[in-house]
Amino acid sequence: MVLKLLREVLKVGQATVPYPFVPVEVAPGFRGKPEYNPEQCIACAACTIACPPNALSMETDLENGVRTWSLFYGRCIFCARCEEVCPTGAIKLGADFELASFTRQDLTVQAEFRLAECQRCGAYFASAKELEHVLALLDQAWKGQQSLSEDDISARKALLRLCPECRRKVDLPRVKELVHTAWPAVEVLDGRI
Amino acid sequence: MMLRPEEKTQRGQRYVQALRQQFGTIIQEETWQAPEQVTLTVDLNSLPAVVDAAYHQHGGWLSVVAGNDERPLNGHFALYYVLSVEGDETHNGSEPESCYLIVRALVPPNKPEFPAVTPRVPAAVWYEREVRDMFGLQPVGLPDERRLVLPDDWPADLHPLRKDAMDYRYRPAPETEDETYEFFDVQGEGVLQIPLGPLHITSDEPGHFRLFVDGEHIIDADYRLFYVHRGMEKLAETRMTYDQVTFLADRICGICGYAHNVAYSNSIERALGISIPERAHYIRTILLEVERLHSHLLNLGLACHFVGFDTGFMQFFRVREKSMKMAELLTGTRKTYGMNLIGGVRRDILKEQRLQTLQWCKELRQEVSDLVGMLLETPNIVQRTQNVGRLEPQVAREYSPVGPTLRGSGFPRDIRVIHPYSAYDRVPWKLTYKDGCDVLARTLIRAEEFFESLSMVERCLDTMPDGPILTEGFNYTPHRYALGYVEAPRGEDIHWSMLGDNQKLYRWRCRASSYNNWPSLRYMLQNNTISDAPLIVASIDPCYSCTERVTVVDVRKKDVKIVPYKELERYCRERKDSPLKA
Amino acid sequence: MAEYDIRTDSKFAVKPDEAVNALKGALLKDIRRSAYVYRVDCGGCNGCEIEIFAAITPIFDAERFGIKVVSSPRHADILVYTGAMTRAMRVPALRAYHAAPDPKICVAYGACGCSGGIFHDLYGVWGGADKILPIDLYIPGCPPTPPATVHGFAVALGLLQQKMKAVHHVQGETERSQLISPQVPLSLRIMIERAARRMAGYWHGKRIADDFLSMVDGGNLSALSESLHAYLQKRDDPRLAEIMTLLKEEYATHLEGG
Repeated sequence: MVLKLLREVLKVGQATVPYPFVPVEVAPGFRGKPEYNPEQCIACAACTIACPPNALSMETDLENGVRTWSLFYGRCIFCARCEEVCPTGAIKLGADFELASFTRQDLTVQAEFRLAECQRCGAYFASAKELEHVLALLDQAWKGQQSLSEDDISARKALLRLCPECRRKVDLPRVKELVHTAWPAVEVLDGRI
Repeated sequence: MMLRPEEKTQRGQRYVQALRQQFGTIIQEETWQAPEQVTLTVDLNSLPAVVDAAYHQHGGWLSVVAGNDERPLNGHFALYYVLSVEGDETHNGSEPESCYLIVRALVPPNKPEFPAVTPRVPAAVWYEREVRDMFGLQPVGLPDERRLVLPDDWPADLHPLRKDAMDYRYRPAPETEDETYEFFDVQGEGVLQIPLGPLHITSDEPGHFRLFVDGEHIIDADYRLFYVHRGMEKLAETRMTYDQVTFLADRICGICGYAHNVAYSNSIERALGISIPERAHYIRTILLEVERLHSHLLNLGLACHFVGFDTGFMQFFRVREKSMKMAELLTGTRKTYGMNLIGGVRRDILKEQRLQTLQWCKELRQEVSDLVGMLLETPNIVQRTQNVGRLEPQVAREYSPVGPTLRGSGFPRDIRVIHPYSAYDRVPWKLTYKDGCDVLARTLIRAEEFFESLSMVERCLDTMPDGPILTEGFNYTPHRYALGYVEAPRGEDIHWSMLGDNQKLYRWRCRASSYNNWPSLRYMLQNNTISDAPLIVASIDPCYSCTERVTVVDVRKKDVKIVPYKELERYCRERKDSPLKA
Repeated sequence: MAEYDIRTDSKFAVKPDEAVNALKGALLKDIRRSAYVYRVDCGGCNGCEIEIFAAITPIFDAERFGIKVVSSPRHADILVYTGAMTRAMRVPALRAYHAAPDPKICVAYGACGCSGGIFHDLYGVWGGADKILPIDLYIPGCPPTPPATVHGFAVALGLLQQKMKAVHHVQGETERSQLISPQVPLSLRIMIERAARRMAGYWHGKRIADDFLSMVDGGNLSALSESLHAYLQKRDDPRLAEIMTLLKEEYATHLEGG
């Protein structure tokens, strides 16, 4: 038995990986540190709704027109639901796992976004970037559609620059139609705040 | 594919009919949740008699008991005693048939008590203590009046799972700075107590043991667990939506989390009648077996450690890393976490992953069979484990333990066979059981199951059907409920889920396999020497293998001595210099 | 709605001591090659415990750095707290803290240890080790992998530098998000992405959908078939072929105005 064991030990040789002196390889698709690209983020809150442990959160300050997105790595469970639901690819789990930190503060990411003002009543509603993103998506969706005139398109876009309340007052049937053409982008924007 | 075409007929009709004949109008209502799940609502006073009949006359095993505050729904509290009814010889000649039979009784809120089932079916003891803690329902006739789940510093009349009790975030100030749990007081000449609590180098969960000994001889044992009670059942009913709970279910157990995840997903999929794609069933099966691989390697490593073969322990942990890499490759994490959605799985297995996994299976088979060979050739393995920690079949039958703990006492009982789920009735595989009733039998079962798991992973990878891995676009219906069940590495994990309004669960009862194994541990420890205690505890592969210190109570010397757990473990390995001497 | 906050109640929580903090620097210097670690499980799921275990066994072998797991807090230089700090474990956790000689380093390990993780606001927990104890280092992860554990200890001992840094971004004047695959019609992209996710999950599916869309050439089905053929031949994966073929069928239906 002892001989067998010794043989096994000799056969195996050095089992230990040389990490941290040499980087350790992780499998493709490894769920490591969520890498956030604030430039790409539209502050739509899809990830903060999906996040099971509330590592992602969002606060909206309607008074000052600011929305703050936050990530706390210390609470993250690395499930990648944020990556799965993000409509713009702003957050992706990378291969990095070296997250040790002396303070809680260094485990946080925050991003402040401006809110859009309603063109009719002046109230803050959706995040400005989200609004611009939806308008760009609609441009893309309507491109080349013969049935819509330039005027139609600008009228519809003008509607989206209103807060949900004003939109309802102005043109309820039109809004419903909009939601149908450009779902899911518009659904995200419509009446959530 | 929860409703399989061949399963449209309801299984277990014969037991329902037999019970109806015996109990007549006591059975007030019969509802079927799935082809193998039936709930019988019975008169509260006859609850113990019906559970007893299902358990003892129809080959029932107690899987879980769920309390439920249904006052907002029907004005009452409800109790659900879930039995896996598997029949016995009385149905001679006919094919064996098994189903989950759930005995339900309503408890009026103005008289929150129910007749305890424990005196007739001892397996109910922990469940009834838990129902008292969480719902404030008094089991009349239950001899054990101690808390089970709630911490000592929790207010007396606050029952967290009552719907009107409190917000899930409510944290009352600690009531006490002392630990006030009352352990058994074993009287008699020379009984001695051992507190053994909460931390150790190989341990998972904290717990506290008390052994009663006469000299070196254990005459009884008591333990307190639930140091880890966090309140996840309440969390699932409040902050989370039902489709987020899969990620919480993972975190019931750091070793068999995926088994819980599948059990939970199955319960919801059954309740909502969702068919999940065939390929998803196969992927779930593969991952469940990968989980069994690393779990059993952990336990085999510990077996080496406890018999003093530490080199073997290190070798098992070395090869275990390959199964962890396999998990990382297939799921993106080493813990098979976060892989299920309601309706299927989140990741496919493409060629690259398939070939690599097959390759690693081949390597693992070779490496582990070498190591197991070595372990069995270790001169003292048989000597240390044979006839040690005996779980007699009749004790096992009364306490409904699960998994290798039960299969080591001669019962060929495995949920994968009795209530097949995922792909277990689609790929061939072999069930392992032994009748040694001892630590050796339980260890050998794990070793054999390891190789069977490897074969199952290979078979599933080879025969995986095409098609999607996720079903989308199903309808959500509140207040439906159903069971989900999985044979985890340690035995049956079972989840009872009821859906509620606003995409949230109304009630989630999850029961981990070790929960059913702990109560019978007391009997395994009795009549052994204290040097074998760590070995015996490890042999049920509890969701924690040891504790920090042991109170040894010597019945003859009337002496109480606290032995550091480490010391007891050393004694287990070396078997010399008893810590009780001097 | 946490009405009672344990942090503000000095009776129940340990407050950091300045004098002891000053000693920690000296401690780190002294124990750099020999640090004794004691684990305190305060209500974890075992995931963290097993991964710490994996970190001290042959493949990752943290003992290379003199890190040794000991079985009594009285021997410990470093206390590692895992779990969301359940109510029942608060007193044992404090006992372990007081048993370890000063100065000592306290590590919050895993999502639960760092903050309570997925359990952070539950009635049964205090929400992480730092609610009752002064914590010197956080090692996030659910659970942290053995390399992450080795890295964490190396940072604690000053062998490696901390990589993480707080980020605070303020939206720039001209900041705009980029559209994904703007050359592809929106409805087509969404359809392909969903079909790919249904077939292969979010991770493989995203890559497969991106590859597919990069081959879509303005409605030319035969050009797509050709590039797809070459793509599949190179990869030689029957499952990938099945998925791509399905995407192509969906695409053809889309072109017909489906």
